[in-house]
Amino acid sequence: MYKHEGSRGSGAPGWVLQRITGILLVVVVIGHYFVMHANPASGHTYAAVLERMHQPFWKMFDLTFITVGLWHGLNGTWGIFRDYKMKPAVSLTIYGVIILSGIAFWVLGVNTILSF
Amino acid sequence: MAYQPKPPAGWIKTNFTYYKHSGSWAWILHRITGLGLTAYIYVHIYALTSLTQGPKAFDDEMKLFSTPVFKVLEWLLFSLVLYHAFNGVRIVLVDWANGARYHKKILTVVYGLGVILFIGMGILMFSAHGSSIVASTK
Repeated sequence: MYKHEGSRGSGAPGWVLQRITGILLVVVVIGHYFVMHANPASGHTYAAVLERMHQPFWKMFDLTFITVGLWHGLNGTWGIFRDYKMKPAVSLTIYGVIILSGIAFWVLGVNTILSF
Repeated sequence: MAYQPKPPAGWIKTNFTYYKHSGSWAWILHRITGLGLTAYIYVHIYALTSLTQGPKAFDDEMKLFSTPVFKVLEWLLFSLVLYHAFNGVRIVLVDWANGARYHKKILTVVYGLGVILFIGMGILMFSAHGSSIVASTK
């Protein structure tokens, strides 16, 4: 049906991935809360954070978190906009802002993680 | 007199006045909390770039974040996380685990667990007793 109504795809891959990344984020966010907030000192002093940042495991943890989190958030945001009928120019502008700001902040975050 | 169809209501009026079931509210809240959390990721990523500016910049920032205003904001942020995570699990159950048969019961659990954990976190964060529990994990 969608093929006859001007859409490039059914949107199903994004829908499935939104659920998979969501489940992943529930698991990761629990870990994040325990590591960062169960003990404020180990979570929030420069020395403790740097020590974690030098371990490959936590680097991977943070890179995964930032990538999956941003993708899930922005895919969800685009999903909300997609529910409304928009002029093509408006739609393209919003899509562009989502993609470009997403990439920019992903680079900013990855740069922070990989500086150590 | 000929039948006069009502003119279509405006977008805002339609959205504010159509009848909302418990699931409609869950859907609306999921979107609002999702947008809030996405905005927060941007703030979070930007705030943590201070790590690259050395210990003083970072520790000063953390001092600012441990003031009462920011602690209350963090607590409120936790409510967004709680709702979005629990209701997200509910959505996955509805889509993939026949949850349409019991989605209202799950919604009660979502709100119940959410409120309990939100209050629990408040006690941990703001009461002297809670702070001592947190401190003893050092």
